Amino acid sequence: MSEHDKRESESTHNPSRRALLKAGFAGGAAVATSGVAAAATPDPLITEIQDWNRYLGEGVDARPYGMPSEFESTVVRRNVPWLTADAVASVNFTPLHELDGVITPNGLCFERHHGGIAEINKADHRLMINGLVENELVFTMEDIMRFPRENKAYFLECAANSGMEWKGAQLNGCQFTHGMVHNVMYTGVPLKYILEEAGIKPEGKWILPEGADASHMTRSIPMEKALDDCMIAFKMNGEALRPEQGYPLRIVVPGWEGNMWVKWLRRIEVGDKPWHHREETSKYTDLMEDGKARRFTWEMDVKSVITNPSPQAPITHGKGHTVLTGLAWSGFGKIKRVDISIDGGRNWKTARIDGPSWSKSVHRFYYEFDWDGSELLLQSRAIDEAGHVQPTKDDLRAARGGNSIYHNNSIQTWHIRPDGSAENVEIS
Amino acid sequence: MLKSLNRLFLAAVILVAASSVVQAADLKAGKKVFKKCAACHAVGEGAKNKVGPHLNDVFGRTAGALDDFKYSKAMIKAGEEGLVWTDETMDAFLLKPKKLIKKTKMAFSGLKKEKDRVNIIAYLKTFSTGVEEAEPASEEEQSANEETATTQVAAASSASNTNQNYQKSQGKFGLGRIALNEEVTAWDIDIRPDGKGLPVGKGTVAMGEPIFAEQCASCHGDFGEGIDRWPVLAGGQGTLTEERPEKTVGSYWPYLSTVYDYIRRAMPFGNARSLSDDEVYALTAYVLYLNDVVEDEEFELSNENFNDIRLPNEENFYPDDRSEEAHYADKSEPCMKDCKPEPARVVMRAMVLDVTPESEGEGSLE
Repeated sequence: MSEHDKRESESTHNPSRRALLKAGFAGGAAVATSGVAAAATPDPLITEIQDWNRYLGEGVDARPYGMPSEFESTVVRRNVPWLTADAVASVNFTPLHELDGVITPNGLCFERHHGGIAEINKADHRLMINGLVENELVFTMEDIMRFPRENKAYFLECAANSGMEWKGAQLNGCQFTHGMVHNVMYTGVPLKYILEEAGIKPEGKWILPEGADASHMTRSIPMEKALDDCMIAFKMNGEALRPEQGYPLRIVVPGWEGNMWVKWLRRIEVGDKPWHHREETSKYTDLMEDGKARRFTWEMDVKSVITNPSPQAPITHGKGHTVLTGLAWSGFGKIKRVDISIDGGRNWKTARIDGPSWSKSVHRFYYEFDWDGSELLLQSRAIDEAGHVQPTKDDLRAARGGNSIYHNNSIQTWHIRPDGSAENVEIS
Repeated sequence: MLKSLNRLFLAAVILVAASSVVQAADLKAGKKVFKKCAACHAVGEGAKNKVGPHLNDVFGRTAGALDDFKYSKAMIKAGEEGLVWTDETMDAFLLKPKKLIKKTKMAFSGLKKEKDRVNIIAYLKTFSTGVEEAEPASEEEQSANEETATTQVAAASSASNTNQNYQKSQGKFGLGRIALNEEVTAWDIDIRPDGKGLPVGKGTVAMGEPIFAEQCASCHGDFGEGIDRWPVLAGGQGTLTEERPEKTVGSYWPYLSTVYDYIRRAMPFGNARSLSDDEVYALTAYVLYLNDVVEDEEFELSNENFNDIRLPNEENFYPDDRSEEAHYADKSEPCMKDCKPEPARVVMRAMVLDVTPESEGEGSLE
């Protein structure tokens, strides 16, 4: 291995931001001096034959279930240990700054468990429908696979995503400020088929999905939503749900708080009133400044964030043509438009949305510009098809105070310095 | 004391030795049993003390000997008197913790099955260096056993569900089968604010106190004050408009039914569904007492008087009205040009707080 390869592979293995920045400076310096330099040296990666150009690699039996390149080993979910008392009732975060497109890979979808990951053999799993139905039923997974299926991509966002940011800029990276969201193509059965199979009694106005894990998670969902677009899903992005996402079965509640998407779904009760369980009273209620609290704040509001550049993904190439990208989503439908500001919200330009535009699914946006190397205050502002405009943090604080934890969909600001580094800030 | 302790173990050793000949340890099964312990104990690389001490290198260690863990006085005393963790002492402790060390703060009743203890000890020993490893059943033997077991379970479950005596679904697709009453009763444990779902039963504050001390206090604190970042259950009245509101059962929760429902479905953490209905009534009564909602230790909560109890904050919840907030009510097109009179200034930075976890290979920016 040549010196260059070694350096190259060391920095890919261990891409500290400091190293990245250094590389950035070096690159910048090279650009700056290239006009004066006598002759450019040929790139040994091109002129020298590399190991992988010559020797045979592993065969098809080496990776029966393929994993990402070893050079992508820092692309992982990360935890913020001080947030919760124990990792079995905690959360980790999707590395949004490392991803592109609109689909989140299964192994990178953020996790939130209340009693750890339940490991259930699908042969041992049952789904029960009980309560205000004509016939209380039990299904095996095999039964469920015999209903007509649908394929739909939806975002799932934890209601507490960005919750640490209410009182000010706190966590320095969009993985931590915005990473409690993922976007997955689900395969499953429309919930209405399952409920109709049992026969909903006229007084049945609410459902209560329940998980089989040690927390026996429950949430009340109005029947109207259950019959509209909820589904019970067994596949994500084409393969079986991952255990940490509820294998073998979860409920999908499009556009609504992630907490409602009960994993390891084992029972759905039909009732005439909501249950007011722990996760819809003591948690997931929004405390206002006057000490009163909103409840049943189900929809996830219109939101967007610039994923690159961002604190974990600084600009390393110096000034010149720069690609800015990010994600936008709304629990009220499609994203109509995303605007970008590079001067902290004084002036806005419309970004380009690329990739599929599906209802209640993330949209990918790009904004390409020529960076002059000066300081930037980057912001994105999404508008959904229902006409909601993403508010500022000051708007939200004026309406709700600083203690409502959930549903912070405000505009995020990243401060870019001349060296390309980025920081989570609040601005005047 | 030490002598008698040793004699006790000697007796135990003989018993264990006699029976463990036939009992080959199963590491995988041990790992599974350890899940019962994992809420309080960590093991493996980077394991830290949690509610209980980490268990790396526990074998060969004197009881109560980790410097950075706050043991019960009883555990430290046992260590001073010579208690060292070995197969035998650990087996005796796991069988009935409070029998070996009467005042240990470990709130765990014990592992009755010898097989579980043998397996968990074998599993834990894989994290202890310098001890003789228990000889695990050979890999093949183990996986063969497991395969048979899985096949049997699969066969049993599909058999249990294709049982000819089940009634088929009457629905459009004819999929699934009619649930039996016993099955619905086994799973339908939810309680509503109007009392629907409450089981028949009762329990007093005084009965709840020792259960709370044994099952709940290691996380929630003796008075519901919360240890580390575990939930605070009591106090906080009048703090909801303050800078740091404390949301407890007494200060925030709207309905008592939620307390009963949640304890019954998810507590104690790591041993859900292990309490009797009466114990849940007693604990719920005790939580009311901690919150000064009831003041008499003899107060008895039951399905009869449950609906008479109201929590103080019930009236302070209202439905979602986000759509009426000024920024959503305003449907005009957002400003695109010269939207602020002055250039924007940075007024707050995340790096000042410095609370972002460092990832491997990622230092914070200077």
